[in-house]
Amino acid sequence: MTGPSRRRRLAAVAVIALAVAAGSACSSSADDPTDGGAYLVWDPYPQFADDSEWVALLKKCGTSAGVTVERTGYDTTDLTNKALLAAQQGNSPDVLIVDNPVISTLAEAGALTTTDDNKLDVSAMEKNLLGAGQSEGKTYGVPIGANTLALYYNKDLLTAAGVDPAAIKDWTSLNAALSTVKAKGKKGITFSAIGTEEGSFQFLPWFWGSGAQLTSLDSPQAVSALALWADWLKQGYAPNSVINNTQTTSWQEFATGNYAFAENGTWQLANAEKLGFSYGTIAIPASAGGPAPAPTGGEFVSIPVQKNTGRYDKSQQIVACLTSADNLLTTDTTLSYVAPVAAVQDRQAADPKLKVWVEAVRAAKGRTGDNLGTKYPKISESLWTAVQSALSGGKSPQEALRAAQAAASTR
Amino acid sequence: MPSTTQTSTTARDKGGAAPTAPPRSHPSRRRRPDRWLAWGFLAPVTVYLIAFYAYPLYRNVELSLRAYTVRSFVQGGAPFAGLDNYRTVLTDPAFGPTLTHTVVFTAASLAFQFTIGMALALFFHQHFPLSRTLRALILVPWLLPLIVSASTWSWLLNSDSGLVNAALGVVGIDGVNWLTSPGWSLTSVIIANVWIGIPFNLVVLYSGLQAIPTEMYEASALDGASGWQRFWGITFPLLRPVSLITLLLGLIYTLKVFDIIWIMTKGGPTGSSATLATWSYRLGFGNLLPEFGPGAAIGNLLIVLALIAGLVYIRIDRRQHLR
Amino acid sequence: MTTSPSRAWWKTGVGLVLTGLMLFPVYWMINVSFTRDQDMRATPPHLIPINGTLDGYRAVLDQQLPYLGTSFLVGLGTVALTVALAAPAGYALAKLRPPGGSALSFVLLIAQMIPGIIMAMGFYAIYLTLGVLNTLPGLILADTTLAVPFAVLIFTAFMSGIPDELLQAAVVDGAGRLRTFWSVVLPVSRNSIVTVSLFAFLWSWSDFIFASTLAGGGDHQPITLGIYHYIGNNNQQWNAIMATAVVASIPAAVLLILAQRYVSMGVTAGAVKD
Repeated sequence: MTGPSRRRRLAAVAVIALAVAAGSACSSSADDPTDGGAYLVWDPYPQFADDSEWVALLKKCGTSAGVTVERTGYDTTDLTNKALLAAQQGNSPDVLIVDNPVISTLAEAGALTTTDDNKLDVSAMEKNLLGAGQSEGKTYGVPIGANTLALYYNKDLLTAAGVDPAAIKDWTSLNAALSTVKAKGKKGITFSAIGTEEGSFQFLPWFWGSGAQLTSLDSPQAVSALALWADWLKQGYAPNSVINNTQTTSWQEFATGNYAFAENGTWQLANAEKLGFSYGTIAIPASAGGPAPAPTGGEFVSIPVQKNTGRYDKSQQIVACLTSADNLLTTDTTLSYVAPVAAVQDRQAADPKLKVWVEAVRAAKGRTGDNLGTKYPKISESLWTAVQSALSGGKSPQEALRAAQAAASTR
Repeated sequence: MPSTTQTSTTARDKGGAAPTAPPRSHPSRRRRPDRWLAWGFLAPVTVYLIAFYAYPLYRNVELSLRAYTVRSFVQGGAPFAGLDNYRTVLTDPAFGPTLTHTVVFTAASLAFQFTIGMALALFFHQHFPLSRTLRALILVPWLLPLIVSASTWSWLLNSDSGLVNAALGVVGIDGVNWLTSPGWSLTSVIIANVWIGIPFNLVVLYSGLQAIPTEMYEASALDGASGWQRFWGITFPLLRPVSLITLLLGLIYTLKVFDIIWIMTKGGPTGSSATLATWSYRLGFGNLLPEFGPGAAIGNLLIVLALIAGLVYIRIDRRQHLR
Repeated sequence: MTTSPSRAWWKTGVGLVLTGLMLFPVYWMINVSFTRDQDMRATPPHLIPINGTLDGYRAVLDQQLPYLGTSFLVGLGTVALTVALAAPAGYALAKLRPPGGSALSFVLLIAQMIPGIIMAMGFYAIYLTLGVLNTLPGLILADTTLAVPFAVLIFTAFMSGIPDELLQAAVVDGAGRLRTFWSVVLPVSRNSIVTVSLFAFLWSWSDFIFASTLAGGGDHQPITLGIYHYIGNNNQQWNAIMATAVVASIPAAVLLILAQRYVSMGVTAGAVKD
């Protein structure tokens, strides 16, 4: 009759195993953010290791506020879910740095404090950049830096083809340049039309440059913008791979030296120096001429809601330190971003390579601005879907955008 | 060690024999304690299941039955919505095509993974120099994080700079827009998924083969059976339980696949490679503004599909035991 | 079943070709890990990294090695816990066939269908309350959920092939069910233990979602998270990403080969004799 005692022993072993697993783990965790101790900072810059300048700056700002800072870098797509989940469980970090369109989502979720609560001073920030962090008169965060899109061009290739980039002022002259390059056996332009936010981000300069508005996706202007892209693929000015290109893939294509133009962002400046040919940048032209408004990119610093509201004071000091003029210059230089403050922008514009970008950022528009807020994600999804179906030949630009407008307005 | 070899040889002698009913010498004396003892063996797993699966499962059902917004996801208080989320999903024009893609993706992946896996398992079951090392090497794809293996496939299948199109060009065939044309995207993700699934089938089927006693083959070799006859006459029937579980698990894993499709095509272009799993992910986590309710509803529909597959399996399995 | 040496080498040739085909994408990954940015999208693509670069590896060797250790510990822990939980259950389901057993198998099937991200969210909530976020045992426990249902089902399928006479004989010899399990069932099931361990290890090695949700902020990060050092907000360093994958898979591949050799030598020792 050994059965029952064995059974009991087995059960005991199981319980002990679970208890040990849980117990040994308990003892080794000490960083509960709600009771004093370190201030937690989450950022979407996993590329910066603990010995980077960025982390050094975070630590310094913590020290000057009289607290220690514990920083974690997350993959940017992962960070949104993680921030929502942490907010749900009441475990938000003290300072959260996220991509700017995410701010409106987190604000809608009630996960962020406003400047009324956290007493942050945002008066120095440029209005067009701050817009992405505002909703119904409240400000939920401060931009830490801005980026936007422009056209990089391959100087050597254009010279050989006899195209003067300075003469590209509108869509007609751009098309003429592309056709000349194509006739010389080279490739015209590469961009990213992937079925994610990245695709909308890249399409928006053309969309806005046609005079279209996000509130009416199927306007004739909008159709003309999509027709421009679809036509580039049809004519062979742009490769078919753009439908699945991320901005990195499209940059790699440009880096081969076979493409005349690439639509890409401020953050590629450091990589541009490593290209095997000389390059230049021009603003993305609007349909009728002049620079098109490009969307603003870049991250916002925000202070999530805490159970212990006493923590806001120190968090506010940390954020103020991060976004002070000198620190902004350091941060934005490492990130290859343009500063969100006019005074610092002027200092950056002294560098002729950055001048184009500073001007582009000044002309740029926030995606969630115009009080679109949380309506933007749905509009954007409809928009990139339309771009994908027009470029892959499923639908004409007109049909695609009509379907997009219908989808954006139903929910 | 010697005693182990002894027992395993004994097992091998009889391993292939169809399970016969145990001689019930003392039915009344052994039955009851055995029943309790069996649950003793099952207790750790049962506790484990309740501790770690019950809550997520409950959560997934609860998410699908309430009208969640981002606000109520964080702050609580989402109103009960009954089957509204299911209705939203089922009446969505994308539902039909997505379901078809799911069925095609799953059926094609399973068929190729299993056949190729079986062929490789049979091949590597023969002992030849390096057979073990090569077989272990085939597992290497499983060591790679999916983001790497899936990205590598989209690299190879790129319309303009992909190796596959370059190779086709050498043979004089026009390149195919593998990932960017609605007609090919599903095929492309199936190819990548078959590749990822082969090692799993190979390993499980291979260990199944190892359990088949060599004497069975020797006897039939004396009878002059050909390799093909031996496969259908001996290997395949004896491998049935293992094949069944491989297929069932394969089915479940394939229904669930989303990362590889997500990385390669995001389910596009225009939904042409979207399956229920990628759709669920897109709704719940792949957008700036998550729609948890419909996302969870699709997840639960997938669970129902797996349930049906499980029922079919148990039926077949039971029939096998009765025989 | 003896084959002539020449015939056997011919098979090795075929085996090499098949393995080569299967591993071609892996070769491509290695190729990219050595490629400079400007050659990554060359048309036609370079079959070998002409003008290769070691930048990717330099970055990885500087930053990634500590993560490998964590991945190993997590992998081994996952294997141990999975086998410990699943083997007895498989035995019970296959041989003792208790009432409610098939219901349990059913639950195991369903359990595998819960999306990983939902599981991770569940664990996050539980771990936060217990204070086990960012710990090794926590990550190990979560990773076992990838393998345990699979393991129980595999053990059940394989153990039902063990002849009842063998177990009966042990009982006649006076062994209890626990003894029978320990000294008869487990040794005979070495094959399935290897299979289960292999997959438990592979799954935990390549897991990303649990690692990111449950260990993302801590000192115990596995190699899959290391890759995200090269995926910036706007930009990805592909040669470094691929180099990380190469560096991460080499030690694990060696381990696989050695483990397979050791174990299958033991198993086949019996078969070769007769």
